[in-house]
Amino acid sequence: MTDQPRRKDLLDIQSLSVDEVNGILDAAVPFKDLFKRSVKKVPTLKGKQVLTLFYEPSTRTKSSFEIAAKRLSADVTNFSVSTSSVVKGESVLDTIDTLQAMRTDYVIIRHQMSGVPEMIARHTDASVINAGDGYHAHPTQALLDAYTVRETFGEIAGRRILIVGDIKHSRVARSTSRILKMLGADVRVFGPGTLVPDDRPEWLQAFANWDAAFAWKPDAIYLLRVQRERQDDQFFPSVQEYHKFFGITAQRFARVRDEGIYIMHPGPVNRGVELVDAVMDYDRSLINQQVENGIATRMAVLYWLKPQSTPLPG
Amino acid sequence: MPTTLIKNATLVDVNGLAESPSDVLISEGMIRKIGVGLVSPDGATEIDGSGCLLLPGLFDMNVHLREPGREDKESIATGSAAAAHGGVTGILAMPNTDPPIDTGGMVQSVRDLASKKSSVQLLTAGCLTKGREGKQMAAIAAMAEEGVYLLTDDPSPVADPQLLRRCMEYARQFNVRVASHCSTAALVKDGAMNEGPMAYQLGLPGMPAMAEELAIFRDIELARLTGCKLHIQHVSTVRGLDLIRQAKTDGLDVTCEVALHHLIFTDEAVVGYDTRFKMDPPLRTAVDRQALIAGVVDGSVDVLVSDHAPHTDFEKSADFNSAPFGVSALDFVLPVVNDRLITTGSLSWGAVIRSYVNRPREILGLEPVSVSEGSKADLVLFDPNARQTVSIEDFCSLGHNSPFIGESLQGTVRYVFVVGRMINFA
Repeated sequence: MTDQPRRKDLLDIQSLSVDEVNGILDAAVPFKDLFKRSVKKVPTLKGKQVLTLFYEPSTRTKSSFEIAAKRLSADVTNFSVSTSSVVKGESVLDTIDTLQAMRTDYVIIRHQMSGVPEMIARHTDASVINAGDGYHAHPTQALLDAYTVRETFGEIAGRRILIVGDIKHSRVARSTSRILKMLGADVRVFGPGTLVPDDRPEWLQAFANWDAAFAWKPDAIYLLRVQRERQDDQFFPSVQEYHKFFGITAQRFARVRDEGIYIMHPGPVNRGVELVDAVMDYDRSLINQQVENGIATRMAVLYWLKPQSTPLPG
Repeated sequence: MPTTLIKNATLVDVNGLAESPSDVLISEGMIRKIGVGLVSPDGATEIDGSGCLLLPGLFDMNVHLREPGREDKESIATGSAAAAHGGVTGILAMPNTDPPIDTGGMVQSVRDLASKKSSVQLLTAGCLTKGREGKQMAAIAAMAEEGVYLLTDDPSPVADPQLLRRCMEYARQFNVRVASHCSTAALVKDGAMNEGPMAYQLGLPGMPAMAEELAIFRDIELARLTGCKLHIQHVSTVRGLDLIRQAKTDGLDVTCEVALHHLIFTDEAVVGYDTRFKMDPPLRTAVDRQALIAGVVDGSVDVLVSDHAPHTDFEKSADFNSAPFGVSALDFVLPVVNDRLITTGSLSWGAVIRSYVNRPREILGLEPVSVSEGSKADLVLFDPNARQTVSIEDFCSLGHNSPFIGESLQGTVRYVFVVGRMINFA
């Protein structure tokens, strides 16, 4: 890694090359080592301005970015977005004008509508990092997931990762399946037929039931969060039925443990829906590791996109 | 009325281009004489048509003019000027204004406005249901009496099949054709683009082709049941067109139209979330596009339309999900047809004349227009070789939501004649 910026923005996984992905993952390693020290801060982004712009409520991702930016000594401002102004039809372009005026170096944006970070990136000089847009993409989640798989297994290529749940409405599924596939993993999916769209890429094969999925011998099972709030439009009859047929029940957990399968989840977990409580204490649950790796990979992303502005005096 | 002599233009009719250029004399709103070496009468304006095509004016039977109610988007004056600019000398305005055109009085008022403000022949469609709400039948007989040319709730379907059946049974005796924007609301919901791998990749909610096809099937069956004349608006899928073909084979009076953008673009165009590519029906697949072109060539597609739907820049600057559907298309109809369909070999001039000049006027029962002696002088002098780069300043329409801004198009409209009255774009 040199100090030259590779790109202005990180909007999705698809537009990255394998080398770029590996470059970011490699850069995350020393950042993670930093966490073991008592002083976790480095001066890399001293004097840089980071603005978070979250149109959708999120505590975890926002905090993760904030910690990442602060550990790089950047100044972080949370631009509070009242969701009501969105309802009132505030144009995205108006927001862009505001951002331009603020002259910030980075904009970290989450939006409930797909494509908004791309729109903003086109119209601002700042580096835009997509922190999740609609069903489209969540590239830093994908990077932290890839980092976690690599850290756990040594290598991603050849690993079998099963993604379970709501593929249809999941930007995590889109981005994480894409990055793991890029790095040579075999990725498959399983979930209710209503939530596993036929229009997914051909390489993303689906299983019809748990038995077939287990028979495939996955190295890790990646559980997606069930969006309860989406249940006004019915995709399955009840969360109870979801848990019984698509969740990690106590019985399935026994099998997971026997076979040494790792468990991943982007959080926050719905206990009793995607998985039984016991999974949270499982020694092969990677869920907390994902959170920790999220900070390291986000530091790597900020570093990787570092703007080439004039250094501060002194 | 002024007299005009167009010299050395290549005349175009349903058989294509004439072999050698002719002179055309226009006076009193009619084509008086066609020949070679005609001499200008005293006081006549003479126009050099060398290298240009002289076409009968197009008729566009699906345009949205926004007046009354949303004159910030478009007015009768600006929309009809845009039509002329695109080589279109007659338009049928859709009734989704605010308030909608759903009474005899509203039809009359549009006609009055048109006579004062329109640059081209302007007819109006009326709503099938009151307020386009899909709940009660609109004043169909009263609108028919005022000379409404088509009945439709476009851009909405009539969701209730019983209500549509009643509308058809009622409209049939007044000899007005019913037209359908075919869609099944429950299957489309908040959809923003064609359902398929592109929508999956972009994370945008999809509008499945079958939502349109199911409605086409339903409406054809209702036309079969009631004997009402039916026009399917902007069909966009291969299976939808097949259903219409079958209806025609069965002897039903079912006609259909295709919007130009469905012949030119596919859902791949949405990749940058550019809202200028957001239409309803949405841009479909390459297979659909090819099938629609073949349909225009073999005549299964009766009519080409622009589905001109202007919006303000502000509205279209929203994110892809939230932005309104529609494209501002009238200003560049002929250059787009020439550049994207004729020069590419997709369509012949003969097919364009049949589907954009003759068939719409036949379907609506209007006087035919052609480049022949005695015809009404609705004409377009078009230079098929002059390239232009489309910029916002070129629009007569108030809507700039066009995918062609910044694009180079081969072909430029020079002069348009509306019943002999000349509009100069040279």
